Amino acid sequence: MKKLLTSLPAALVGMPLWAQAPGWVEDSLYRSGKINAVVVVVAVILVGLAVWMFRMDRRITAMERDRAKGS
Amino acid sequence: MKHWWWKLLGVLLLLGASVAALRVPLSPALVHVEPGRIAPGPVELTLTGYNTHFAQEGVKVFLENGGERLCATEVQVLSPTLVQARFDVPEGLRDHLSNVVVVDVTHGRLAIPGAVFTTGTGDGSGVESCAETLADAAPVKTFTFPNRNILYESIRNLCFHVPMWFAMIVLMAISVWKSVRALGSNDLDDDRAALHAVQVGLLFCGMGLVTGSIWARATWGTWWTNDVKLNGSAVTALIYLAYLVLRGSVQDPHKRARLAGIYNIFAFALLVMFLFVVPRLNAVDSLHPANGGNDGFGDLDLDDRLRTVFYPACMGWILMATWMYDLRLRAARLQERLER
Repeated sequence: MKKLLTSLPAALVGMPLWAQAPGWVEDSLYRSGKINAVVVVVAVILVGLAVWMFRMDRRITAMERDRAKGS
Repeated sequence: MKHWWWKLLGVLLLLGASVAALRVPLSPALVHVEPGRIAPGPVELTLTGYNTHFAQEGVKVFLENGGERLCATEVQVLSPTLVQARFDVPEGLRDHLSNVVVVDVTHGRLAIPGAVFTTGTGDGSGVESCAETLADAAPVKTFTFPNRNILYESIRNLCFHVPMWFAMIVLMAISVWKSVRALGSNDLDDDRAALHAVQVGLLFCGMGLVTGSIWARATWGTWWTNDVKLNGSAVTALIYLAYLVLRGSVQDPHKRARLAGIYNIFAFALLVMFLFVVPRLNAVDSLHPANGGNDGFGDLDLDDRLRTVFYPACMGWILMATWMYDLRLRAARLQERLER
């Protein structure tokens, strides 16, 4: 949680600084009717969900370990 | 599984809407005209279409300038997406900018407004050629998304980026409801529910910010700009991060529940202000659709095709987000029971 708390504002503040993205990123975002903008957006959402799933998994694993220790 | 039906509904809506959002073709459109400047005399324009199927016969091209039509003297279809048109541009076009229009049987009317620039203007060319021969053809109706310049294929992001915010708002609304209940009942479980709704809501807020930033790069040419809507959403994220910081700074659980509950009510009020009220004030300018006096996507979506995919996508994401919050809350309850 702490890591998340510190990294999110940093990402927000840093956002304008990404403006100098490498050329191939720019090119691929604009090529073929901008479909890659959609691909990247969908990828970001899937990665976000995956991160959430992993964190949830860790939570439950920790509980399972606690229970194993307790009994 | 508890209440499985709405979870299944969420998955099915999301699946259907996402496949449709990625697979529905864009409607045919003209996307490019070369050159962008013309002068009186013979001119050859090359028109590039997107998802067009120009046939060898029956394609008509004309310029619209100040209410007058100037027809191409010769049209050559090079490929289903490429057309060459020759014009004899007379002196004295009325406006600097002309629309380029293609009319044919399959597409009806395709146009790029203000696509070519003329140096020097007059009182009109007096040409009325071909105006009567161009009865507007009716296009074949298929299920397509609007093809709008600047957006093009990225219009599909509407079904991914916007539902993130809808999901976040629903989670924050759940959170404020739980907070109000916690203030009334002094029940720590309501307070816990409010916390976990905010945490999942912040995930969707983060995904909304990042996907919006990517979309902005592809359409406005910048990852971030000092736009009222963008800054409003960033400030909203910070307000809710501060909610987590506030909780972390109070040790006593009952005191924490009361403080966090009151803060959460203010936070939600600010969310509504920053995301909906301030960007829609007529006094502000915004790049973002449906804000600062801009058209929303509803105005593009003349035949409701976008809506039929967008609404299920929103519903699906809202149900998924609620499910995630539900899982998180149940896990937290179990954890507390284990720690006792």
